[in-house]
Amino acid sequence: MATDEMTVKARKQPEPKLTGAVHRSRPTLDRRYLPVLGTVVVLVLMLIIGGSRYDNFLSGRVMANLLINNSFLIVVAVGMTFVILTGGIDLSVGAVLALSTCISAWMFVHGWPAYVAIPAAILAGALIGWAVGVMVHVFEIQPFIATLAAMFLARGLCYVIAPESIPITDPTIVKLGTRWDLGGGWAITPSGVIALAVVVVAFVTLHYTRFGRTVYAIGGGEQSARLMGLPVARTKVLVYVISGTCAGLGGLLFAAFSSSGYSLTGVGMELDAIAAVVIGGTLLTGGSGFVLGSVLGVLVLGLIQTIITFEGTLSSWWTKIVIGALLLVFVILQRLLVVRRR
Amino acid sequence: MVSKKIRTQAVAAGIAVLALGLTACSSGDDKTADPGSTSSEGSSGGDAISVGFSQVGAESGWRAANTKSIQDTLTKDAGFDLKFSDAQQKQENQIQAIRSYIAQGVQYIAFSPVVETGWDAVLQEAKAANIPVILTDRAVDTADTSLYVTFIGSDFVEEGKRVGQWVSDNLGTEPINVVELQGTTGSAPAIDRKQGFEDATKDNANIKIIASQTGDFTRDGGKKVMEGFLQANPDIDVVYAHNDDMGLGAIEAIEAAGKKPGVDIKIVTIDGVKDGMTALADGKINYIVECNPLLGPDLAKIIKTLHDGGTVEPRIVTQDGAFDQEQAKAALPDRQY
Amino acid sequence: MTGLAQLTRHRLFWPIVALVVLLLASTLKSHSFLEVTVRDGHLYGAPIDILRRSSILLLVALGMTLVIATRGIDLSVGAVMAIAGAVTLTQIASSPDPGAVSTVAVAMLTGLAVCLVIGVFNGFLVAVLGIQPIIATLVIMTAGRGIAMLITGGQITTVTSAPYKTLASGFWLGLPVAALIAGVFFAVVALVTRRTALGVLIESVGINPTASRLAGVRARTIIWTVYVLCALFACIAGFLQSSNIMAADSNNAGLFIELDAILAVVIGGTSLAGGKFSLTGTLVGVLVITTLTLSITVIGIPVNAVSLFKALVVIVVCLLQSPVVQHKLRARRRQAAPVPVEVPA
Repeated sequence: MATDEMTVKARKQPEPKLTGAVHRSRPTLDRRYLPVLGTVVVLVLMLIIGGSRYDNFLSGRVMANLLINNSFLIVVAVGMTFVILTGGIDLSVGAVLALSTCISAWMFVHGWPAYVAIPAAILAGALIGWAVGVMVHVFEIQPFIATLAAMFLARGLCYVIAPESIPITDPTIVKLGTRWDLGGGWAITPSGVIALAVVVVAFVTLHYTRFGRTVYAIGGGEQSARLMGLPVARTKVLVYVISGTCAGLGGLLFAAFSSSGYSLTGVGMELDAIAAVVIGGTLLTGGSGFVLGSVLGVLVLGLIQTIITFEGTLSSWWTKIVIGALLLVFVILQRLLVVRRR
Repeated sequence: MVSKKIRTQAVAAGIAVLALGLTACSSGDDKTADPGSTSSEGSSGGDAISVGFSQVGAESGWRAANTKSIQDTLTKDAGFDLKFSDAQQKQENQIQAIRSYIAQGVQYIAFSPVVETGWDAVLQEAKAANIPVILTDRAVDTADTSLYVTFIGSDFVEEGKRVGQWVSDNLGTEPINVVELQGTTGSAPAIDRKQGFEDATKDNANIKIIASQTGDFTRDGGKKVMEGFLQANPDIDVVYAHNDDMGLGAIEAIEAAGKKPGVDIKIVTIDGVKDGMTALADGKINYIVECNPLLGPDLAKIIKTLHDGGTVEPRIVTQDGAFDQEQAKAALPDRQY
Repeated sequence: MTGLAQLTRHRLFWPIVALVVLLLASTLKSHSFLEVTVRDGHLYGAPIDILRRSSILLLVALGMTLVIATRGIDLSVGAVMAIAGAVTLTQIASSPDPGAVSTVAVAMLTGLAVCLVIGVFNGFLVAVLGIQPIIATLVIMTAGRGIAMLITGGQITTVTSAPYKTLASGFWLGLPVAALIAGVFFAVVALVTRRTALGVLIESVGINPTASRLAGVRARTIIWTVYVLCALFACIAGFLQSSNIMAADSNNAGLFIELDAILAVVIGGTSLAGGKFSLTGTLVGVLVITTLTLSITVIGIPVNAVSLFKALVVIVVCLLQSPVVQHKLRARRRQAAPVPVEVPA
């Protein structure tokens, strides 16, 4: 059945290019967009249900908070998307984020100016990403294990640098968290703007540059990508550097969000990022997925949290159960939507 | 092929309809989204005081008792509309919850901060919205104390000091080796209780802390670390555990090594949960300093006072008792948690 | 020379070296570390502690090995452990006679039944619905712990029951019961996978699911089965865990154990990409991790440096195990040897 469909498709439409831009003779939906579409549908459904059930739910303030409160997770998820698209995984992002907050907090306390501390924190993330990339590509250690080790390493460094939580009072960081009111309850912070900028840069990189094409190609099949002459080695290392840098940047946004450097931050955040990426339609085997999907995934997770807070009656354990159940419903719905297409 | 096209168009149309419906809803609700107003539907049927509470998590029996106390006291019958959220021990969840409470327009916000630092921004927002903030159990580290009305909770450093003082007075008359089971690395109670104990015992030359590791506040952690301590150090006299659970784990490890807890190796802990008090009454633990989790009644009283226009002290220290073995036997039947 | 070369080429060489180094370091700090004495009629000593402690991780890692061999992963094992403890202990605590063997047996059967359902659920999501394993098992990882806490009401349920206590703390023929239980399961799994076709079938499903299905292997059933087995083994690990502290700590039981289990499996040589698996390798991996944890306490590494130390050990072992480093070491040895050694495959 699949072969029939394929020959029919080949006759009717030209082959879609490797970039995200697809040219067609007739407006039909590319099946690769289907998982993301599923995400959008469920997101809208949740908004409807929330809006009808709770007062003030669909207000500008709540929706703006959704973006503001999750800007750091958006950046981290974008970085994670790059890694997962190549078929890898990065478990260290939570710990690297914490390390970034600890490094910047430590440097501020010791009198370093913002224009040194901020790049230093991001650089730390990039360095760890580079080390992971080397471990994965040169030493052929599996990404799961390499990034697990990086997670222990980053977390260990956090405990050494900041055994107690360090408050951040640096004006630059504080400014990153200021709320700009846009009227009607809507607002945005510089962190939110940075997060959106990162998404745009990532989108352009993945869909309109050779690097992005190589990322997708590696996910589709590393051997074939190499045979095609694509710079596989460099790209594989670079995606981990990107993920580490995004985690470092996310750490700065988180420092602005929480104005402190704390070694226990970000525990389990990597699972949130992975969940967001998968909910957004990216396959963990690599080669297929969209950055915008990951952003939607983060919004879905944030929405789940908002609904639970608005509900106001869930005890700790019911919170966990409801999160798990919503995740389940989501994943099944998405799977059914994709499967029906075939 | 036709069905494909229709399916696509149907999906697109569906989304458009939903989106339209969304904007209609949001524009309708925007008017009521004024954070300054204290009215939120259903809750303030005139009398009920709406309170938003963000709890750290449910990481221990102590925390569960704390939650239960608050939920059992701030009920609808008592005149409260309690919105409760569990932060799963993540600071970002607490910040989101507080922002959400501000958006929902609650009248009071109370929370136990999972970490001491980083609350200035969100507390400023609460202040701007005229919502009084009450801190329970743990404090925040901020220069601007006007950001919260009061902090009610135990003094962790004081708890550590009291334990240290008792050890110094009762056991420190001869040279003793002490091993320490710490709480979760980086958490305020662990840091403070360690500090307090060290402050109280540093002047007593007989007391030597020979090993100190983290048991993560859990029973299993305490047992694991104690086993290691027993292997590495043949002469342990006293175990100082930052909470009862780790002490209970240590009891198991000591018994497995063929020694008698409370007799061969003395144990001192903090918290005073029921299992700990039982062990104390049985003679397996030697001294417990209480850390009272039942903050519900005090919280309700504070809110009611503020609501009636009164003022409260900026720092309310909960009364913590302390028990040795005899006192535990007497107090055990009345223990609520 | 050839013998040594062959030995070092074995993928388990470096993990075993790490194990020996850790034991040596601990012995340096505490001279009686490796001593095994007889106390109260049973063996006592650090090695016995290691054996007993490893049992829990071994059971979890055993199930995890089979799942990973089919290209899957199971993040829910910690939550399953918590549920097992919660169900069983709540039942024992509420029964009229907690100390009776029959009560304990019935409670354990109930626990097994509940975990069986979870395993079937996980397997259904992965094998039938085709959901990616990491997300499918993430559901139970999140919700499962909530269910366990729901059962115990957020409290730590303590029980006093002598038969249950022997599971983790008892001794039989001088050896810890926990180690015996884990050993028996290990032997059974090893026998079944290596003496019957099951092992090869699992490996083939992991190496190439499509080809296996075309060759007539019932991939779906096999994948479903390994998730059920993983849940059942995690359940027994949960029994041992709760028996260890004679309490059901739903919030903390088995927290992050999935990471340790996956680490043990990978150190042991099984690839996360699925395919060939090694049960002996997993055993070595488990011993390394357990010894590492104990050594940290014995050597007295400062609390703030523990995570860093763990990271360094893991990185060093993984680097040394990596094919690139192995190849370089082999090349150097070949250059040094006067007689040409056999060419590596």
